[in-house]
Amino acid sequence: MKQLIIIALVVCSFSASAQTKYEKGMTKAFDLWKSEKQWEAANLFERIAQAEPDEWLPPFYVAQINILYSFNEKDEEKITAQLKKAQDFLNDAKAISKENAEILVAQAQLYTAWVVFDGAKYGMNYSPKIAQTYQEAYNIEPENPRVAFGKVEWDLGTARWFGQDTSKFCEDLAAAVALFETYEPKGQFYPQGGGDYAKQSLEQNCAEKE
Amino acid sequence: MLRFLLIFDSSNKINQKMKVSRKQLTLIIITTLLAVILPYSLLAQTTVSGVVTQKNGTPILGANVYLDGTYDGASTDENGQFNFTTEETGVQTLVVSFVSFEPFYMAADVSQMENVAVILKEDVNSLDTVVISAGTFEAGDNSKVSVLKPLDVVTTASALGDFVGALQTLPGTTTVAEDGRLFVRGGDAGETQIFIDGIRVFTPYTPTTNNIPTRGRYSPFLFDGITFSTGGYSAEFGQALSSVLLLNTIDEPDQDKTDIGIMSVGATLGNTQKWEKSSVSFNGAYINLAPYIAAIPDRNDWEKPFEAFAGESVFRRKFEKGIFKFYAAFDATNFELTQEDINLEDGLRFKLNNKNLYTNASYSGDLGESWKVLAGGSFTHANNDLGIMDSEINDTENSAHFKLKFRKRFSNRFKLNFGAEQFLTDFTEDFQNPFVEAGYGFNNGISAAFAEADLIFSRKFAMKLGVRGEYSDLFGQFTVSPRASVAYKTGKSSQLSVAYGDFYQQPLNEILKFEQDLEAQMTRHYILNYQYSANNRIFRAEFYRKEYDQLVTFDTEFAGFESNYANNGDGYAQGVDIFWRDNNSIKSVDYWVSYSYLDSERKYRNFPIEATPSFANSHNLSVVGKYFVSDWKSQFGISYQYGSGRTYTDPNEPGFLQKQTRDFNSISFNWAYLISQQKILYFSVNNLLGFKNINGYQYADTPNVNGIFDRRALRPAADQFFFVGFFWTISEDGTDNQLDNL
Repeated sequence: MKQLIIIALVVCSFSASAQTKYEKGMTKAFDLWKSEKQWEAANLFERIAQAEPDEWLPPFYVAQINILYSFNEKDEEKITAQLKKAQDFLNDAKAISKENAEILVAQAQLYTAWVVFDGAKYGMNYSPKIAQTYQEAYNIEPENPRVAFGKVEWDLGTARWFGQDTSKFCEDLAAAVALFETYEPKGQFYPQGGGDYAKQSLEQNCAEKE
Repeated sequence: MLRFLLIFDSSNKINQKMKVSRKQLTLIIITTLLAVILPYSLLAQTTVSGVVTQKNGTPILGANVYLDGTYDGASTDENGQFNFTTEETGVQTLVVSFVSFEPFYMAADVSQMENVAVILKEDVNSLDTVVISAGTFEAGDNSKVSVLKPLDVVTTASALGDFVGALQTLPGTTTVAEDGRLFVRGGDAGETQIFIDGIRVFTPYTPTTNNIPTRGRYSPFLFDGITFSTGGYSAEFGQALSSVLLLNTIDEPDQDKTDIGIMSVGATLGNTQKWEKSSVSFNGAYINLAPYIAAIPDRNDWEKPFEAFAGESVFRRKFEKGIFKFYAAFDATNFELTQEDINLEDGLRFKLNNKNLYTNASYSGDLGESWKVLAGGSFTHANNDLGIMDSEINDTENSAHFKLKFRKRFSNRFKLNFGAEQFLTDFTEDFQNPFVEAGYGFNNGISAAFAEADLIFSRKFAMKLGVRGEYSDLFGQFTVSPRASVAYKTGKSSQLSVAYGDFYQQPLNEILKFEQDLEAQMTRHYILNYQYSANNRIFRAEFYRKEYDQLVTFDTEFAGFESNYANNGDGYAQGVDIFWRDNNSIKSVDYWVSYSYLDSERKYRNFPIEATPSFANSHNLSVVGKYFVSDWKSQFGISYQYGSGRTYTDPNEPGFLQKQTRDFNSISFNWAYLISQQKILYFSVNNLLGFKNINGYQYADTPNVNGIFDRRALRPAADQFFFVGFFWTISEDGTDNQLDNL
């Protein structure tokens, strides 16, 4: 028995990379994403999603990639197909992990993508939904930086559109940016991005205050 | 080997989900070790490779190719090629998926999966699939054939928040300004039926009197889908000769909120409460025209200006596989006035008290294996208490509609809809004046069954075939109506559709209450539609011909007991409807133009000859424009309505409906100012330039001393109408911003 443990320890130290299939797959998908092969990454996440029906992260990332790359999409057919796919995978993720603030943030971003695409057409319908979704996410996990930032950024954007004073949001925005520094992801491969963009947003929106 | 993998798998999950004991750790380490080493030593790898193309041979880049249930797979390259290795053996399922194509599955032994040629079939559910559009206008969010957006109902200048008003800017409708109802393609208003969530509305309009336009009863904010069909509609709908209007209530409201509206003509209050699975919305409105008429008197002499109380409520509950909705609306209207009349020196006294209750319950759900069900019913109780001069008329209608519908999707390419429904009406009327007292009415039951198949041959070619059978208890008559439509895509953004259908409808209550020994009236529609839509621009042109038969005729000035009735009438309507909408070419401007040409003649009611009825004018044009000014947070809307002259009979000359009024013109303007996220100030004026429109003429019953029948022009009660409203929404997440601004 003792010997076995020693062997085991040796093995452990020799390969911290002795990853599970899931870890390997996820790591590879993130590598693809980082090297700007986001669609290949999305395909891999999709494969992992169908092989691991109990993990919410793979379908979440399939949705996340489709949402993120919809923001600059001008072709209605393409954006419709992407956001429909994203919604399908978000639904899968929701079914696996209930009351999940990260998924709700992605849902709010999905609605936002529609509003950005055609504000006149989708603004009236989706704006209250976006505010509501952030609120739900906030009720679940107020300390999550993506929740806090998404919510305040949406409120700020709305206030700016109505020509209202936006400076009152700066405090909340700064607090959200600070959360990115301290927030510990709840598990491996959990979302952790968004901090740089949040900082940028703070600098742009609250420059004179700094 | 398989067993090791199983152990590996389950332990892996433990590792992630809980702290592991030392024993487990040992196990994990061992299995991990085995898992790491084994692939390289013991497992053979098989290569899976091939190419993915479209039907025409074009390679597909970025398709996802994998073995079902495993991690093994790859994306295709620019040549459509894929290549990956797997440790799986035996029979596996190869899956190829790509957006807007149907997924491909192939079960085979892994060793056989080399150089597989996969041809993906286009997904006929995807966006660029042909849509059967003949006769149909949709207002919705993601529908490709949408011509109106839900918001258009409230932002169209001439509509005044009435969805019927917004639809009157679409082609196929005619301008009958004094009526307010929908007149479609030479049909009278009774030929259009309205459905809420697929269930019939028996009394959709608030009753009114001569020369005062009515409004739809229902609040536009409760609906998120509006389909307006001007002909050739589905076999699911019957008892409408000309047109159906389908309204769908919102499935799930966004949030808890309270809506307050203060208007120059009254006030509204709405509240929505939302829980996890269910929600309730209430809307109440009080309308009183007294202050408005006091400030801006019109041509009528009001004893009791128009007053209405209305309340609506929607309850929704979601179940695992379906949704239940209950909708109820109650409203009470009353007014009393004296209208000018050429034959009555003191004018015509008219008094109305109306009470209307409508309830509608429906359940739609999934039965599994691609079966869907819709079950629903509605009940209407309507009571009118009318006083016309010294006659008192009291009528009561109790009507019900029950419907059960199934839908089965056999594949993306073949779907079947079928169902049955029952309509029941019990109508009674009491008539009383100093000379006569009478009570009469009728009981009417209609049973119907329908079936319809959707056949989608390819993204380019689709067909809908349906049939509807109806049995009328009252007439003992059985009718069969075939319906068919075909759509073909002529280019990337254009398509051609044709539709054909037979439509039956019973005579309206105003006839049936005197005479029940009749038959259903019928029309036959032929429609050819061309649609082009790209880059937020839509062009539609629709040619149609409609043939009427079995129309009810009678031989007296007004329909009454003494009249002789028959189904001897017939007629036709033909023309072309053109629609153009563009919100792309000019920045911040959205506009649409509708033009309809109509040629129609009919012999019905007491017409001595076939003639063009006064509601069927030849040319109608609507231009609606909206301009959004971000800096001013304002939307400006303008709409222009033109209708060519309408027919009337001049008794001083021989003939019937032989003369035409002058053209109708009206320019309306509105301004919506967003004070903040939740407060809107709304201002509108109808007929801004004050055109003096004439809807028709009333002639004296007897000639004057010179032997000439005098006449009086039928003018609108007021040439112009002004409206100011303030709308405020209070919701949980918006309150912060709002209070800070006060």
